[in-house]
Parts: sequence; C-alpha cells; structure tokens
Amino acid sequence: MRSKINVGKILDTTITYLILLAVAFVFFFPCLWLILASFSRSGSIYSFDGFFPAQYSTASFVKLFTDTTMYNYPKWFMNTLLIAAGSCALGTFLTILTAYTMSRFQFTMRKPMMKTTMVLGMFPSFMGMTVVYLLMTQFGLINHLGGLILIYASGAPMGYLTQKGFFDTIPRSIDEAAKIDGATNFQIFTKINLPLSKPIIVYTALTSFTWPWSDFILPKLLLKEKNLYTVAVGLMSLDETEFARFAAGSVFIAVPIVILYFCLVKNMVNGISEGAVKG
Amino acid sequence: MKRKSITLLMAICLCIGGQTGCGKEAENVQTAPDVQTQEETGVINTVFNGELEHNVTIQVLENDTAVSKGYFASLIEAFNEKYAEYGIVAVDANMNQYLDLANDGPYGYGPDVLYQANDIIMQYAEGKHIYPLPVETMECFDQIPETAWAAYQIQLGETAYTCGVPVNVQAPMLYYRKDLLPEDWEQVWDENGNKIPDMAENWNAMYAYSVSRHEEDGSKYGYMKSLFDVYFSSGFLFTYGGYVFGNNNTDPSDIGFSAGEAEKGAWVLSQLASAMNEECIDDSITTNAYSKLADGTYFATITTPDMYSTFLDEMISAYEEEGLSEADASAKAQENLVMTTLPKLPESGDLTEEGNFLDAKSMGGINGYAISAYTKYPNACLAFVEFATSYEMMVNRSALLGVAPARNDAAETAGGTSQLLYDNLEAGNIVLMPSIKEVSQIWTPGETFFTDLAKDAFRSEGEKKYTDLEAMKKGLEAVDQQIYDAIFTLK
Repeated sequence: MRSKINVGKILDTTITYLILLAVAFVFFFPCLWLILASFSRSGSIYSFDGFFPAQYSTASFVKLFTDTTMYNYPKWFMNTLLIAAGSCALGTFLTILTAYTMSRFQFTMRKPMMKTTMVLGMFPSFMGMTVVYLLMTQFGLINHLGGLILIYASGAPMGYLTQKGFFDTIPRSIDEAAKIDGATNFQIFTKINLPLSKPIIVYTALTSFTWPWSDFILPKLLLKEKNLYTVAVGLMSLDETEFARFAAGSVFIAVPIVILYFCLVKNMVNGISEGAVKG
Repeated sequence: MKRKSITLLMAICLCIGGQTGCGKEAENVQTAPDVQTQEETGVINTVFNGELEHNVTIQVLENDTAVSKGYFASLIEAFNEKYAEYGIVAVDANMNQYLDLANDGPYGYGPDVLYQANDIIMQYAEGKHIYPLPVETMECFDQIPETAWAAYQIQLGETAYTCGVPVNVQAPMLYYRKDLLPEDWEQVWDENGNKIPDMAENWNAMYAYSVSRHEEDGSKYGYMKSLFDVYFSSGFLFTYGGYVFGNNNTDPSDIGFSAGEAEKGAWVLSQLASAMNEECIDDSITTNAYSKLADGTYFATITTPDMYSTFLDEMISAYEEEGLSEADASAKAQENLVMTTLPKLPESGDLTEEGNFLDAKSMGGINGYAISAYTKYPNACLAFVEFATSYEMMVNRSALLGVAPARNDAAETAGGTSQLLYDNLEAGNIVLMPSIKEVSQIWTPGETFFTDLAKDAFRSEGEKKYTDLEAMKKGLEAVDQQIYDAIFTLK
C-alpha cells in the first residue's frame, strides 16, 4: 500500500516537473536565443549554424555603445531612463494619492468618479492618440521628453483600483485611533498608512516604470528627432542589416528592469509579511 | 435635485462648447500656400524672390546612407562655410528618413529641405506640402535630362510645375562576385571574347550558370532575388511591352502590366525561380543577400546602386574573418564585387534557347531634393538645393556613395556604371516610377502575382498554375483588373 502511494507520488511529481520544465523552456528559449544572437560574431542572422550563432564575440555590444553616428543607443537609453524614472516618481505619487482619497474619504461624486474611471480604463490607451497629438502640438510639447512624462504620469492614476483595494484592507480603526490622539489627515496618511503600504508603493513604482520603459506608440507619435528617441522607437528604426545591433540593444534594455526588480522585490516581500504579522 | 444638476452640467458644457469658436486661429498651424493660386499670381517668384534670409537655420533631411558614409556632414560643412557671411546654417534634421511631412509639416515639425524618391515627393506635391521651384533659373537645369525633370512635374491647368530637383538615378543593378566565376570562364563563359562574363551580359548565361552552380553544390546558388518585389520584377515585363500606366505613366485608367508580350517576362522570372530556393517567394533574399553574397552562397543578385557600400562592407567583414588585414580585405572586396547594368533578355523569353537578345528595361526612380511648403526660409533652402546639386557636390556624392548622378557632366566624370545608368535613362530603358498617387495601388496586386509565380516553381507538376504563356497572360490581365478596381471602385 505504502509503495503504491510512493509510486503515485513520484509519478505525479515527475509529470508536474516535466510540464513545468516544458512551459519554462517555451518561455525561456526565445530569451536565450536573443541573448546568444546578440553575441554573434558575424552579426548576421543568416550566418547561424542552425539555430545558434557559429562564433561568439562582444563586438555587437561594443558597436552599440561606440558607433553612434546613425544610431545613438546610449542617448536613446538615457532618454528612456529619464522618461521612465520621471513617470515612475510622478505617476506613483499621483496613483497613491488617488487611491488613498478614494479609499479613505467619502464625498458626493466618489461613486460616479469610480465608475467613470473604471469604464474609461477599459478603453485602450491608443484610442486617444490623435487627441493627445493635437493637444501636445498646442502645448508645444512635441519633441519634449517632459511631455511624455506628463502623459504617462497623468494616465497612471486611472489604474488606481488595485492600490485602493490595498488601502481598504488597512483597518480604519487605526485612523480613528490616531484622530482621537489629535493627528491630522495628512499625518495619518504620512505617518501611519504610508509606512504600512510599502508593498503596494513598490508595486506601483515598478508598473509605472515598466510601462514607459517598453512603450512604443506614444514616443513614436510625439518624438520626431532621432536624438530624442526612446530605445523602443530607436530599435524599430534600425536598418534591416543591423540585426546584431538590434539583438544587443534588446538584451541590454532588460538590464535596468532586472536591477530595479531585484532592488525592490525585497521591500515588496518584507512589506507583505510585515502587514501579515500586524493583521 | 438630480435633474437640476444634469441641466446645470449640460448648460456649462454648452457654454464651453460655444466659447471654443471665439478663439483666434491656432498660430502654430501653418497652411500650405494654394498651388492653384500660385498659377494666377506667380507666387513662385514671390516666394523665391532671390533675397536670402539672413541668420537662419535650415533643417535638411538626407537619406541614411549619405549620413552614415559621412557625405552629408561634408555637404553641410561646405555649404555653411560658403554661406557664413549671410548667417545661413544648414543642419541635419535628425529625423527618420521615412518622414510624414503631411502630418508633421503643418505643425512645424518637418524639415525645410528633404531628399526623397520622386514618387514620395510628388505625393507631397499633390497634397500641396511642397513648393514648386523655379528650376529654369538653376545652374543644374541644362545638365539634367528632360525625363528626370518630368518625374517631378505636376500639371495644373495649362501650366506644369516642377516640385523637385533630381539628384541621382535609382534603378536595379546587377551585383556579382568576380572571384566566384568559374576558373575557365574566359574560355567557356565569354562567347564574344570581350572580357565580360556572359552571365553579366545575358540572362540565358546567368540562368545556365545558376543551374550548374547549384548542381555542383546543393548549398550554393547563382542568381538569387526575392521575386515578389514589384519594383525589381516588373522590369522583366516592361522589356516585352508591359508598362504601368498609359500616356507616359499619367493615365491611371490604362494599366499595362499585361500589355504587349509581358507574359514572356513572367516566364523568364518563373525560369529563374526554378534555379533558386523557396526564399525567393518572400523577402528573405532581399534581407539576406548582403551576407549571402559576402559568404559566397549566392553568386549574383540585383538591387539599387545605393546599396553598393552595404555589400562592400559585408564583403570586407567576410574577408577579415578569413584573416585578412583591413586594408587587404577592403582592396580584395573592391576588386571582387562588381556592380553593372542588367543583362539582356532573350527575345523569345526562353532562357535555354539561343537567339536574339533585347535590352533589359527596369523600373527606376529619381531621388532628389524638394523644399517644404512649411519652411520660413525658402530662399535659403533654394540656395542649399542649388549648392547640393552643383557639379562638385554631385561628383563627391557619386564617389562616396556609389550612386549615379542625374547630372550629365557629373555622370561623365563618375564614369563606369554611373554613366551606363545615365545612358539607360536617356535611352528609355529605365521606366520611372509614376509620379501620380494611384501608383500606391499597384504594389499589392503585383506582389500577389509575383509571389504566386515564384511559388509555382516549387509546386508539383499537377498543381502548377502558370503552365504556359497563355496562363501567365491571364494572370497579368487579372493584375491589371485588380489595380483598376482598386483605383476606381470607390472613386
């Protein structure tokens, strides 16, 4: 009886692991291929030995950062970093404020506003591109990285529902106790709720950073000068013979996201566990 | 209470809506001058009055190859030096070479001077985004052939306006590697003994060599090209009487891809496809030809002359990988890479039969400069165009980029293929891409037919669609009809 259970358990574990490995391979293989392709010595996709490059070198990465006459990748990278960091800071601030307001305060138009934002959030963002373009021309914000930061940051609070859900889970009795002790609304927010909300702030910051980091449509629409391109737009503008540069650029673009993730994920996990203990 | 709130909200909306009509017209939206009016008032002379604007910066959009090879930097440096006393500075517009002047220009984000193909410039001209130019007063006017100027002309009423200045001729050229010729080519593959291999002189020899090269080694090919590309494949039809639009490419109701004996051109393509692999069906060969020619997999291909430097760079890299120094690799690549005009086609259309040959015709284009109708400094722009199309600059351009100048004197100085290409243009062997907007409808039906034709070479005997000339003729007639429907159904 015991051996039967063990055989079943082993079989179950094996099949589970096989499925997981297969799924992981499906997701990992394209990344692996791109990483290896970016180290291709010939720089041409057509000189591959089967699926993978015949010879390897770091020449593509060197070229990516040194040969900037036509394709100024370092500049694109810094533009993207500036836009993403700016949108991240401003967007997170606005989203948290919106979510906190909706969670903690009762006012006349609260429910209709929530419903409206929910419905508006269902429309794809590119629907309003023509209007955005016309508005930006009127404000003189075409070819300005600041214009993009404003759009991303102002659009970020539309997705405040997740954050509101988090604030809803923090007991109101804490706020009431603080109020009895004489704390103002601002003090309650900054001294009590904000420290408890570390995980959701980290989550918001990450999503606010990754959206502009990888977005293509908006920068393509609003940035006309090559030196102002973001990495996504710049990589799309590469000539058809520049595959190695494209692969190297695509691999390198993942670096900041990975670093940011590893720096922030600890706070996210700690925050969640701290919250659990307090709860 | 609820009803009152809604009424109040609607009233506010109404007031705000009404107020929007009271503002001034947006100042930063410029409107293009009406070309029709220009005819009446002679505004060309008003705009280009010869008085140079002082202390201005003009933005110039060049093509990527000119920028990457350093030609553009030398051009603006020379121009800025010459016009320093007027304070005119030309700078790189720093935009994508495939710009959208129609949308960006009105808001002031387009370049002042742009370098584009004639069909693109003329589409902008039809939309009044480009200034007609006083070309008769320009120094280059007499040096550029009438056919090249015609590519930039738009007819309004009785008057023809020229909206661009031709710079270089673009037409398909044959690229092949001299070092991949058979060792005994002078004995076996040079029938007329003129020291030019027969493969570069007629398609029959190219086909025969392609077949033999592939038979010797299954991984090697002779001539390779993506056949679906209308720009390159339609020339085969033109040689046998086909054309795009009637009345010198100005009458879109007369579509002639099937005219004359164009089906013979389709047959030639189908025979060439049989010596290629399935990559000729899509654009694979177009994108891999640079590296495959460099590594010796392909012997020959066709593309435009401005890609010469790209082929050369690939070959230099290939030789360097074989262990040669940079200088040796460069010298060897220049010696072995040959760019020449297209081989002749057999009169019968049969690539295996001996007989007379016809000069190959091809679809071509004229790249040139135009001046945006949204520029604030038209005279400075005209001065730039005048400078950039001068003899010296055209010769420099040709030497650095390997392109064929549209100026006769510059083509003569450049010699070689530039002169051949110029002669072909004058002889009418280069059929310029139509400069009317209906040309945008020819590509999809054409691509569909050529793709199907290329696929046919890889279908089993029973499944082939184009088994004889009659079937090919019917296929081309269907293309004509599809283009006609696309142009006129919703007109």
